Amino acid sequence: MQAQSGITESPSKRFWELIATNIGDPNIYKGAFAVMVAVAVYIFANTNEIRMGTYWLIGLSAGFIIQRSRLCFASGFRDIFLLGHGRNLKGILVGLMIAAVGFSFLMARQVPNTALGTYPQMAHIMPLGWHTLFGATIFGFGMVLAGGCVTGSIYRMGEGYIGSWVSFGGILLGLFTASFTWNWWYEFTIRDSPRVWLPHTFGHGGALFITLAALILLYFAVIWWETRRGGVAPAHAAQLLPDTTFYNKVQNIFRQVFVHGWSVLLGGAMLGVVNILSFVSTRPLGVTGEMSRWSLSLGNAMGLTPGELLGTRSMAGCVLDTGDGTFLTFLLFLVVGIFYGSFIGALFAGEFKIRIPKQKSRLVQAGIGGILMGYGAGTAVGCTIGAFFSGIPSLSVTAWVWAVFALIGAWVGTQVIQRLP
Amino acid sequence: MSKELDVRGEICPYPMMRTVQALKKLAKTENQLVVITDHAPALDTIPTQAIRLGFDVKIEEVKSSEWQVILTRK
Repeated sequence: MQAQSGITESPSKRFWELIATNIGDPNIYKGAFAVMVAVAVYIFANTNEIRMGTYWLIGLSAGFIIQRSRLCFASGFRDIFLLGHGRNLKGILVGLMIAAVGFSFLMARQVPNTALGTYPQMAHIMPLGWHTLFGATIFGFGMVLAGGCVTGSIYRMGEGYIGSWVSFGGILLGLFTASFTWNWWYEFTIRDSPRVWLPHTFGHGGALFITLAALILLYFAVIWWETRRGGVAPAHAAQLLPDTTFYNKVQNIFRQVFVHGWSVLLGGAMLGVVNILSFVSTRPLGVTGEMSRWSLSLGNAMGLTPGELLGTRSMAGCVLDTGDGTFLTFLLFLVVGIFYGSFIGALFAGEFKIRIPKQKSRLVQAGIGGILMGYGAGTAVGCTIGAFFSGIPSLSVTAWVWAVFALIGAWVGTQVIQRLP
Repeated sequence: MSKELDVRGEICPYPMMRTVQALKKLAKTENQLVVITDHAPALDTIPTQAIRLGFDVKIEEVKSSEWQVILTRK
C-alpha cells in the first residue's frame, strides 16, 4: 500500500500522527502544566531577586535529575552492607569527582595563596570534632531507619510517598531539638575544633589530586566488593517500540528521557555539575540549614526559641539558622525547587502516586529516622548533601570523617532494620 | 507452580528484603515468584539478589509505575 502511494510516508502526516497519539497521553499534559507553573514561579522569583530565580532553577534541576536517575544517598551508604550493591554509591562518587574539579578551580581563584591560612568563604569546610562523629553516626542510622536521607525524602515527597512527608516533619523537629543543645556542643567541642582544609597542607593541585585519587580508588573498591558479593544484575532495559519508523524513534527518545530511569552514573555526574553551578552562583548545595530556618521560625512564632546560637553567624554551610523574619530567601527556592523538580519528573513518568505503606509501623520508623537525621544534621552541620556531597569537593577533611561515621551509623541501621517486623 | 508477592507501597530496602525472604521460603514444588512493586528503585535491587539466589529475572510493566518482577528458578 504505502509503496504505491508514497503519501502515507510524508513527514507531515507522520508529524500529525505523532501529535494525535501523544494527545492521548495524560502524563504529558500533567507534566507540561507543572512546567508552566514552574516558569511562572521562576518569573516571580527572578523579579524578587535574580539569585532567587537562579536557585529555583538549580533546585528544579537537582530534583529532576535525582528523580530521573533515582539517585539515593541512603541506598549508597546502606546497600554496600545490606545488598553488596554499589549502584548509588558509584553515581555519588562520579558526582564527587566532577564537583571536586570545579570546586577546586573556584576555590583557587578565591584563595590564590594557601600559605596565608585563609579559607574560601562559602566552601563547606566545617569544624572537625566530637560533634562531627556523633552527628554523622546518628544521621547515618536515621537515614537507614527512614529509608531516605534529607534530599531523598524531599524527592520522594514529590513522588507521593506519605512516609517521606512524615520523615520531613521528623527532620524539622530534629533540627529544632538540635538548636536547644547547640550551645552545649559549641562550648564542649565545636568552638575549639579545627577546620581542616587539604589545600593548606598540599596546595590546590595536591589537594585535588589526593581527593580524586581517593575517589577513584573507592570506585574500584566498590566494583571489587560487588564482584565478591556475587555480582550485580544488569540495569533493567527500557521498554521501547521497534526502532523502525520516525514516529517510533521520537517516542523512544521521549520514553528514555521522561519515563525510563536514567543511568545513575549520568545522574551523579549531572548533580556534580549542578553543585558547581550552585557554587558559582553563591554557595554549594545544602538543604538542612534552610530547613532549620523554617523550624526555628515556626518555633519562634509559638514562643519556643533557643536564644542566641553561639558562633553560627561566622560559619558557612548548613549551620543552624534562626532566621531574621524574612520569608523568601534564595535557599527556600532551592529546597522547594528540589521537591518540585522531582514532582515534574514523576508526573511525566507517570510515577506520581499517593503511596501509603500498608504496614503502619513504617510511618513511625520514618518519623523517628527523620528526627535522628535532623538532630544529626543540626549538630554535625549538614546532611548527605551539605556535609558530604558539597564537603568533599570543598577539599575538606571533615567531610571524609563525616562519611566514615555516617557509614558506621548506616551499618548499625542495617542491623536494626533487618530485625524489625 | 507460581506464587505472588505484593510489595506495593513499600520502599527500599523492603521490596528486596521481602522478596529474598519469599524466595528462601519457596517450596520445592514452586519454581516461580511474581513480585508486584510500584517502587522503581526495586527494579535494580530485586534482580541482583534473585540472580545470586539462582533465579532468572523478567520485568514487565503492568501499567505506568507498576511492575511485575517475574523470578523463575533456573
